[in-house]
Amino acid sequence: MSRKRALIADTFCLTKRRRCAADSVTDGAADIRSSLQYLMTMFSRKLFNDSLPPVVLKHQLYSLHNDKTSVDKQVNELRENGELLMFQLGFDSEAFALVFAEDYRTKVLQGEAGRETLGTVEKFLAKLIPGCSDLSFNKEKMLKEFLFTDPEITQLVKSGVLTVRDAGSWWLSIPNSGKFIKYFIKGRKAVLGVVKKSKYGEILKTELEGRRTTSQVKFQMKYHIHDIMGAELVECIQTTSGTLLRYVDGNVN
Amino acid sequence: KEQTRDNDLNHNRDVDRIHGNGINTLDIEVIDGRYMLSGGSDGVIVIYDLENNSKKPQYTCKAICTVGRSSRHVHKFSVETVQWYPHDTGMFVSSSFDKTLKVWDTETLKPAEEFQFDGNVYCHHMCPIARKHSLVAVGTKDPKVQLCDLKSGSRIHILQGHRGEILSVRWSPRYEHILATASTDSRVRVWDVRRASGSLFTLDQHNGDKSKASSEAVNTAHNGRVNGLCFTADGLHLLTTGTDDRMRLWNSATGENTLVNYGKVVNESRKGLKFTVSRGCSPEFVFVPCGSSVAMYGLHSGQLITMLRGHYNNVDCCEFHPDYQELYSGGKDCNVLAWVPVLRQPDIEDDETNSKRGGAQAAINPAFEDAWSSDED
Repeated sequence: MSRKRALIADTFCLTKRRRCAADSVTDGAADIRSSLQYLMTMFSRKLFNDSLPPVVLKHQLYSLHNDKTSVDKQVNELRENGELLMFQLGFDSEAFALVFAEDYRTKVLQGEAGRETLGTVEKFLAKLIPGCSDLSFNKEKMLKEFLFTDPEITQLVKSGVLTVRDAGSWWLSIPNSGKFIKYFIKGRKAVLGVVKKSKYGEILKTELEGRRTTSQVKFQMKYHIHDIMGAELVECIQTTSGTLLRYVDGNVN
Repeated sequence: KEQTRDNDLNHNRDVDRIHGNGINTLDIEVIDGRYMLSGGSDGVIVIYDLENNSKKPQYTCKAICTVGRSSRHVHKFSVETVQWYPHDTGMFVSSSFDKTLKVWDTETLKPAEEFQFDGNVYCHHMCPIARKHSLVAVGTKDPKVQLCDLKSGSRIHILQGHRGEILSVRWSPRYEHILATASTDSRVRVWDVRRASGSLFTLDQHNGDKSKASSEAVNTAHNGRVNGLCFTADGLHLLTTGTDDRMRLWNSATGENTLVNYGKVVNESRKGLKFTVSRGCSPEFVFVPCGSSVAMYGLHSGQLITMLRGHYNNVDCCEFHPDYQELYSGGKDCNVLAWVPVLRQPDIEDDETNSKRGGAQAAINPAFEDAWSSDED
């Protein structure tokens, strides 16, 4: 008689995990960078006339990788290296936007070309990109550490790289991102509505991807699907026909 | 290979159904692990004997005694927290929405002491390892945390600092003077009760990075009411849950957020959330009531391992029995369910006889097998 010891985890969850559709779960050496690049291909550049860098939300990564803690760790590593920038978008305290630093720099400078704020913005980007991984800045930091003057700070707000947080502090922001946030929230609501209106409040992921999008949904369906899966606005259930998305009651968004 | 039975709920173990209304709180005494207390929304308190005296694997844990609605001393409104006195089962303490905390004599089921408060009592806790003090920490509608002394009956010791109702209080299982408190003001404070001044520190979800949060959320443990606290068995870590649907794991000595990401831990509780951590497993698990199931997470990995489904209505509390690695959960359906890890049948190496024997083999837990009486009985 073999004396194999069962792990406690095994005895508590005795149904065998079903093999799920390959594209949604990757284990082992989770490569966040390639996942980010994959998600960024779903970003609709043309919609914003190419004025925005590709933006991805941090929780979209959770829909691709099982271990949220290691995703968080790797994202922080990339931020420390200066490869990735993170932004607090404002509509949800838990929703963070990620942009590759180089894309951000290119687009911002492209937008600033010919304006008088160009010089200040270049100075700000130089301070930001290799060294700083903060999401917001207060007056003291701007004046003492970064050595900006008050009029220069006003110029930065005007150019869109800073938005007001409260008296004397500013969030780091993506210029022209207002439209992005508006379309994003509308699109998310519309996609969630599709799931809710489906029979039994649930729909197969592959079927949702194939549905025609209404005029409310400006982004690619897949982009929104990764968003609602990662933010746990829908329950993801693995079935033999693939991933099933079930509407979760009590959603605010 | 033999298959394990695919029920997480152990159908061999039942608990007597006494409560007529939801069960809010459970506590298993730490000395023998034999007796369990439960407190319900009807104000009733029940004591159960968990020991299996029959030689059969099918067993119902009997209720030994009850402080029922007919008792003169029963709580007038729902009992929110019950706890055995940590050093012997001769005494237990209950607190209720009738604004009282009662210290009961188990023998007579009459209160030996009663403390009156101004507002609903959400929670109380006695330190499991205390030798130098016998304080009960009480969390009420009042932002001041009250400490009642069981020996002297006094209650002059107050901990000031919170700005909202206190939804959960918990003593450290490692240092008998360390107390953690959670409040609707989104903050968790850690106190050393020997100090006259305020709390030792406040838990900050952003670990001091003031740039991450909006200005009002600076120095908060959660982006909502903090309604659950649980120390790990070694006292080195503290878990907190909040109405922002998050659970966080903290280093209890430094107050640092370990940033383990459990994902969305749905939390709609308007009062305290009673969740628990396993003891003696490796790796450890967190069991959190989640709607009508109990969610089970890996403590340090943050992964959702499984959902234990079995209750017919919301689960309100759960308690882990360390000696048998069992979980007991109670909820609005008035049932206490036992989740017992089903022992895997030993793998039989002999493959040829396997397919024939597999189906016919009676599923008896070898621990209950009668190995000594003769077949002639």
